[in-house]
Amino acid sequence: MGKARKPIQIIILSVILLLGGYAIGSSVFGGDGKPREGSKAPSFELLGLDGLTHTLDEYKGKSVVLNFWGSWCGPCVKEMPALQAQWEKWKDQGVVVIGVNVGEDQMTVENFIKLVDIDFPVVMDSGRSAVRSYGVSPLPTTFFINTKGKVDSIHIGQLDLDSLDGQIGKLVNP
Amino acid sequence: MNRREPLVSNTKCECGHQNPVGTVLCEACGKPLDEKDRESADNLEMRYDGVARRSQRVNPGIIDLIWNFFSSVKIAIYLIVLTLLGSMLGTIFPQESTFLNIDASTYYKETYGTAGNIYYRLGLSHTYESWWFVTLLVMIGASLVICSLDRVLPLYKALTRQKIRKHRQFLTRQKVVLVTKVEEEPEVWVARLSEPLKKKGYRVKTDGGALLAEKHRFSRWGPYVIHIGLIIFLLAVLARGLPGLNMDQHLAFQQGEVTKIPDTTYYLKNEKFTVEFYTDDEMPEEFRGKKVLPKLYETKAVLYECTADCIDPSKEPKLSEVAVHDIRVNSPLSYKGLKAYQFDYDLTPVLRSVQPELVNSATGEGYGKFKLDMKNPQRTFQSGPYTLSLKEKYMDFGLNDEGQPVSKSPYPNAPAFLFLITGPDLPAEGQQYFYFPKQVDKEQFQQQAINDKLGGSGRFLELEVQGMSDVDFAESTSYLNIRVDRAMPFVWVGAGIVMLGLVLGFYWQHRRIWLNLENGELVLGGHTNKNWFGFRREIVSILYKVDVIVDEKSLDNGGGLA
Repeated sequence: MGKARKPIQIIILSVILLLGGYAIGSSVFGGDGKPREGSKAPSFELLGLDGLTHTLDEYKGKSVVLNFWGSWCGPCVKEMPALQAQWEKWKDQGVVVIGVNVGEDQMTVENFIKLVDIDFPVVMDSGRSAVRSYGVSPLPTTFFINTKGKVDSIHIGQLDLDSLDGQIGKLVNP
Repeated sequence: MNRREPLVSNTKCECGHQNPVGTVLCEACGKPLDEKDRESADNLEMRYDGVARRSQRVNPGIIDLIWNFFSSVKIAIYLIVLTLLGSMLGTIFPQESTFLNIDASTYYKETYGTAGNIYYRLGLSHTYESWWFVTLLVMIGASLVICSLDRVLPLYKALTRQKIRKHRQFLTRQKVVLVTKVEEEPEVWVARLSEPLKKKGYRVKTDGGALLAEKHRFSRWGPYVIHIGLIIFLLAVLARGLPGLNMDQHLAFQQGEVTKIPDTTYYLKNEKFTVEFYTDDEMPEEFRGKKVLPKLYETKAVLYECTADCIDPSKEPKLSEVAVHDIRVNSPLSYKGLKAYQFDYDLTPVLRSVQPELVNSATGEGYGKFKLDMKNPQRTFQSGPYTLSLKEKYMDFGLNDEGQPVSKSPYPNAPAFLFLITGPDLPAEGQQYFYFPKQVDKEQFQQQAINDKLGGSGRFLELEVQGMSDVDFAESTSYLNIRVDRAMPFVWVGAGIVMLGLVLGFYWQHRRIWLNLENGELVLGGHTNKNWFGFRREIVSILYKVDVIVDEKSLDNGGGLA
């Protein structure tokens, strides 16, 4: 008796293991879907100031510094020169700085760019879809995305020139 | 010498049947297999009809050990108790998921003090999503499946292969027992008894002077039906975590705006939001003048589905209307599993556009109005002979630390516009003009003074709004709770199956009567899983039909009756 039982037991136990593993796994590894350090950077499709749609895939193979900002946010304004300086320093080494404006209209963004004098690419997240998929709550928030499209680190709050330089350096030469 | 129990006791019954390890009562004749049990006079252990559970075996391997762990009812009860205790922990303070906009890392400490901080740090602010709670649920699920399988299959086999003729000890050690004299031909008497038994709904099998009558066996499957329902329920709850099966978000819908519902292809337009309150006449005496009670919250909503150009932000999405509903409390808009519930509202008007007119303040002459949108406005406007080009725009006007004009937020709370006006009687390079559409801002920020400074004393142009018809604003904002829960039908199916199992198990009882008439002596044993009182009554009334008069109480063989 019971020769056929073993395979059945194994099948049932492995189904339980599979489903249970999935359930426990998704509760341990952030079921909220927000990117963390080491997880894949969510893709986005946002309108640039040039009138074209830009996606994260365009920058595949490059290190990306993704900076979420708003013209009304003081620290965002203050960190712009640092971002511009680092953009100029690193752009020839496969680093791209992208500014994601949160929820403002084109005129505001254009005026702001003129005011703070930056020339790295800026996209507009008018529907706040990227804010949502990146789980951004306070501004500014900056994501450092490596060449493999993984989030290397996340910086919440104002960036300063030196630490920004260090973080980009780490991104380029891990 | 060796007083230890033999590892494998002899499981062959004297009736010749070979029983598997763990069998309590011989599968064929029902005689107790254990020597000590045979000497006892107590009621028999009738659980699962005394058959071995599947997991009971010699030399268990690693898989058997895991299997045996989960097949234990004791473990199942511990798991359930632990889960209950864990659930209780989650109710001490509100869970994080019940708040919309809090920073959990500070909220608990600020609201509940040190206890709140400990609560948050222990991860109890999200008890029901924690790994240990989910692990407990998974283990209960495993226990449900394995416990059921371990018992239902042997029980099924035992009940389908019942022998009619049972060992005398099996009969006399039931909870319902009758031993009496019947001076009649056994086969004739048994045949006579069959009639009233059948009338009572028993299925009767006879073998000479032996009889087995049984009814409502299906009620034994009740608990297993419940378990199947619970497993479906648990799987459905688990499936809610899969992408696309569950969504729960709270969104703001400004009146008159078509707003995208994130993560879907739907757009929703709030055409009008209304809130009504009970008038004093409608309220009971004690509430008058003291309470404000809402009577109605209603959002007239139109749901659109995007049919083309949905993702590309450089194109306008093409929308088609799919549903219209007046959303009220408990009356959500519902379309293909997507539900929009009334949740909150904000009656602060939000300015959308104004149509000011350029006026010559000296002559009173108007040059025609133009439409100035708060969001994505045109950059140049023509008003009579004058050209106004929009230079700066502030949604929430204010001054920063250095005294420069800035926008304090992206919301049009205090919009301000800086124009450069060119045209007749103005300097060639044009004249700057600051415009605050809202009257309160005009005064607060002293539009007049600013413009006098910018344009000098000879200034004669003003932007003025002629009437309220030239102002467009969203009167209110309605907050809706958008939900998708595609696993819900399965939750209901599971719950329905549980209910069915409960009904099966509770409203019917599995009743069995065995008897043997030999040498003028009738030995009757009866077993049921509940309602022994009713069972004994039924036996007495059946025996009465064949002129055997017995006292109901005399059938009671003791042993803790239900």
